[in-house]
Formats: sequence, structure tokens, C-alpha cells
Amino acid sequence: MNLEDLYRLLRNGHLEAQGIIDTVPDPLLLLDQNLRIRSASRAFFSTFKVNSDDTIDQYVYDLGNGQWDIPELRRLLEEVIPKSAAVVDYEVEHDFPSIGRRTMLVSAHRLFRPENNSRFLLLSIVDATQRRKREDEQAVLLGEIRHRMKNLLALVQALARQTTADGRSGEEYKDAFLGRFNTLVRAHDAAYTQEDQADLKEVVERTLNPYSEGTGAIVIEPGPSVVLEPGQVVSLSMVLHELATNAIKYGALSTSTGKIQIEWETETASPPRLRLSWRESGGPPVTPPTTAGFGTRLVQFSVSQELGGQVELNYQPEGLVVEIVSPL
Amino acid sequence: MSKTVLLVEDEFLIAMDLKLLLEQRGWIVIGPAATVVEALGLLQNARPSVAVLDVTLKDGPVTRVAEVLRARNIPFVIASAYELPEHVGGEALSGAPNVGKPTDERDLFRALEQAVQS
Repeated sequence: MNLEDLYRLLRNGHLEAQGIIDTVPDPLLLLDQNLRIRSASRAFFSTFKVNSDDTIDQYVYDLGNGQWDIPELRRLLEEVIPKSAAVVDYEVEHDFPSIGRRTMLVSAHRLFRPENNSRFLLLSIVDATQRRKREDEQAVLLGEIRHRMKNLLALVQALARQTTADGRSGEEYKDAFLGRFNTLVRAHDAAYTQEDQADLKEVVERTLNPYSEGTGAIVIEPGPSVVLEPGQVVSLSMVLHELATNAIKYGALSTSTGKIQIEWETETASPPRLRLSWRESGGPPVTPPTTAGFGTRLVQFSVSQELGGQVELNYQPEGLVVEIVSPL
Repeated sequence: MSKTVLLVEDEFLIAMDLKLLLEQRGWIVIGPAATVVEALGLLQNARPSVAVLDVTLKDGPVTRVAEVLRARNIPFVIASAYELPEHVGGEALSGAPNVGKPTDERDLFRALEQAVQS
């Protein structure tokens, strides 16, 4: 091989190496054993807003008016690296005058040249500030999702625990529990999918649909448009479901002739009030129950605690009449 | 002497469940309170043996309630889905047992018994 070939070989090798360094999107520095910059990648210049003249042959700690004179970096270069061949993602947090506070991940690789015993250091510097921020935000979001999931599970637990098992077959218990469970699921769908609000008419129809399919036994009178908050959607849905299942067991829906009429109006007050009535007729003669079951308690509790309103259950012989008045 | 417990929980189904559970076991339940304001109001007229606290209420974290309970030497148990309730509700909650949410009733009653005995 003659000298010219050798030169070409070396030159090609150099171009290749420089090409690789300039292609990598993260800043790269090549330091000699005295920690002076031998070479820097294009990404280094653009990331730290410096030019080649201010960089090459500079002592690393003097770079950019000493902005790299960081205690953590000194520890890495002077203590960690001499004891290991390579360091990966060593975290350096620093306020850079040109680009502000950043989290940098520094990786280093030691290169050794046996012919003259010299050592080089290849440093890659990854700006992980945005990634860290995203990771932190994701952690917060995940925590919140976990919290909400557990809360939902607690709701399901409450329904499972409080649905009466006494004097019921497993099948009956299952139906009663799943009826409540499905209502909760549908209510959550209605409450949280459309910009966190829903219309009363939709909520009433959606909740009572499973009980009135085709029979015309449930009449929902047209009423004014009422926008409900998620909490109101869930509690009203649960209330309507309890009233409907009660009607199937003991009331208007236990016979083929029974009817339920639902109507509502809004009253101007401060805050405005909703007055909703549920009127059963045509069913078997009604006698007031002697004890309040979970369903009745749920109705009362939901209206008073969640809606902040009042509910009246009138067990009139010709049919149950329920009046709910609640602030909107 | 009957044992009284202040129940602070803003999710009505869970509040109802806990109230019924506690009553079945012979506790007299004060509440449930769904807000800090309500809970503080109940505490003005009553001295429960112990309290069960949710962490995030309708009007904010339960912190103030926990502080008042501590000042009056009333023990409390936390029932929260947060793994570290003190991160959300502050120092006043640290050290109190968290029976978690969903709440296992055995854990709840064990924690309540321990709280009133200590």
C-alpha cells in the first residue's frame, strides 16, 4: 500500500467517524486526558448555542463562561470515570445561562490509545428535561387514575355488600346486584362522557329504558331542559332505578295494567330548584312497608346527601307517589 | 356505654355502606359529612369516640378536620384510595392508620377497636 492509498484510507475513516458523530441527534464531546475539547458534534453546538471557535481546545470547565463547571460533572469526570470504563445516563441538573434549568443525562466512554498511552473520553449529553417533565406528569396522571379506579371499585363493593342476600336465592341476589351495577355503569357513561354534563331527559330515559321497552307502561312527560352535574346524574339514576325495581316487585309494574308517569319542572329560586314526580297507578293496592330496605334508604340518602334536596314517598292506596325537590 | 363514630365521606354510596356497616356493629354514627364544613359543624356539638375520614371531600382535603380531632384528642382512621394520604391531606394525617378503599370491613373494625383502646 502506498502513501496515497494510506492517506485516502485515513481520510475516509475520519470522514466516516465525523459523519457518525454529526448524525447522532444528541450532543457529543471528545475530550483528551486533560479534559480539553478535541471535537464536538453539530448537535452540541446547536443545543448549547455555541460555535466551534469557542469550543475546540477549550478546557471543559471553561466552556461558555464556565457554564459547565458543575460540581456533579466534576465528580463524574474526576472520580467516577477514572474508576470505570463506561458510565451511562449520569444525571446532572444545572441552570445553564443560555438555555435555562435542564436535566442532562451524561454518558461517557473511555478510549485508550496504546501507542502513546493517551486516553480520550467520549461524552454524550442528552437533554432529558422534557422527558423528565413528561414522566412526572404521567406519574401524577397514573396515580390519579389508580385513585379513581379504587373509588369505583369501592362503589361496586358498597352495592355488593348492601344488596340484600337474606331470603333470596343466589340468582335473585345476582339480578338485584347487577341491576344496580348496570345502572351505575350507565350513569357513569352519561355523566362523564359528554363534557361532564348530561340532560335530565336523557338520564331518565336511559335509566328507565330497560323497564319500559315496548310496553308503554312508563310515560315520561316532556319537561324543561335541565343540565345535570356528574354527581347529580349518578344519584338520580340510582334513585330512578330503585323506584323502578320496587315498582316491578310491589308496584305498578307488577301487573300488566299499571302505569308510571314521570314529570318535572324547574322553579325559579336561588338556586333554581328541580321538582320531579313519580306517580304510579293501576297496580295492586299499596300498603306502606313496615321497614325501610336498602332501596328506600338509598333513595332518601341519595336525595338528601348527594342532591342536597328532599324526597317524599307517599304510599297512597292507588299507587306510590314520589316527589323530589332539589337545588340545581 | 355506646361507641360513637364520626363518619366523613363524600361519595354517597360509600358513605351509606359504611354507615350501615357501622350501625350493624352497634356503633352510633354521627354524619356522614360530605364536606369539611359539615364535619366541623358536627364536631361542635358532639364528641365521638373515634372518626373515619375520607381524604378528599367536596370542598377540599380533610386536613382541617384531622387537625381539630388531634387537638381534641379524638383518634381517627383514614379510609382512602390514596396510598399516602398525607401527601394529599398534609401532616395532620400522617401516622393514622389507612384502612384503604375499597374497605375490607374486618380491617375497618380492627382499626377502630385499636384506635379507641389506645
